[in-house]
Amino acid sequence: MKITDAAVFPYPYGDTSLRRLALEAKSLGFDSLIAMDTPTGSFDGMEIFSGIHVQDAPMRDVIARVNRAKDSGTVVSVAARDNGFNRAAISLRGVHILRGIQTADKNAFDHVTAKMAADNNVAIDLDLSLLIAARGVVRQRTIHRYRDILTFERRFEFPVTLSSYARSYLDLRAVREITGFCSFIGMDISGVEKALDAVGRIMASPVSSVRVVS
Amino acid sequence: MSPRPPTLRENRRYILVRVEPAGTTIDQKELYYTISDAVTSLWGDTVAGMITQAVVAAENGHVIIRCLRGTERELAIALSTVTACRDIRLALRIVAASGTIESLRERIRAEKPVTAPDSERVTGSTGAGSAEPGECDFAEKSFLIMYCNGQKVDVIEKGFKNAHRLFLTRSDLENS
Repeated sequence: MKITDAAVFPYPYGDTSLRRLALEAKSLGFDSLIAMDTPTGSFDGMEIFSGIHVQDAPMRDVIARVNRAKDSGTVVSVAARDNGFNRAAISLRGVHILRGIQTADKNAFDHVTAKMAADNNVAIDLDLSLLIAARGVVRQRTIHRYRDILTFERRFEFPVTLSSYARSYLDLRAVREITGFCSFIGMDISGVEKALDAVGRIMASPVSSVRVVS
Repeated sequence: MSPRPPTLRENRRYILVRVEPAGTTIDQKELYYTISDAVTSLWGDTVAGMITQAVVAAENGHVIIRCLRGTERELAIALSTVTACRDIRLALRIVAASGTIESLRERIRAEKPVTAPDSERVTGSTGAGSAEPGECDFAEKSFLIMYCNGQKVDVIEKGFKNAHRLFLTRSDLENS
């Protein structure tokens, strides 16, 4: 099992270099990271996946960027918007993660989108920074939204990833602490382990829906 | 008021927390209010009243926090939601929990000490851009080294206008 933080933003986006983030993440119990706009690599036993995050772009541009990154080993994530956009993004081959579902409108993620995510092996990302840093209504809404998403997850079994969105190593949290936060949204330890291990599964080559027998 | 006999006292536990980044000056009272806010915001007044958290000691970049026995998990989760103390960004990393303060003090003594910048020279590209120890270059800018601990190097940009702290490693400085 590979424990992965599904989104970190090293220098120049944040104040911590990629190597330092890797070093600190390792001490907090992680095995790998998805670092945005950095090359794939390995530091001190920590595996770094290259990631791109497509947001605020029309569908045409999203398709172009996804096609450019396809089969390059880059983890492609798309920011969620309205329901139609989310369904289109999920059905695109090469998209791995749909992010920011908590900021999208209320009906942006329904049972049909959940089924599509499960069929296409696209993960839905849960942003832990909102549970950590937000206070009051924002945190309450996030908890409610995540609980709602996890209801669909239990029914349709699409992958879920957990991200710290760390721009500094101070934003990283230990795996044990993440387990504590996830208990608010109805995720037990096995659920957290599964979510932290989801990146490996979504990056694996998709299983063909048709099997040639002979 | 006479002290309660031991059997009638509340059982308490103490949590040892490391304050990051290294070298952060902590005001014990301010940290108490920050933790109190975090606990109340996360768990509400009812649970906060049960946890009865208190900052017992702050020494060598570590803090000892007291809570009621059985509420360590709640306090630990609340501690990880602390992101700043009076506009100073920090993170509280839980090191250990114990029933006595003394055993936690032993843990503090056992922790590897953080070295001051002058006592340990950072090598690499520092040679090109830094005539004095405690200076380095990164991303074509000059930085002052604030703390070194093994591979970890904390730097701050030279010049009083931009006091932004960067968290790097020795390899970053060698490869830049």
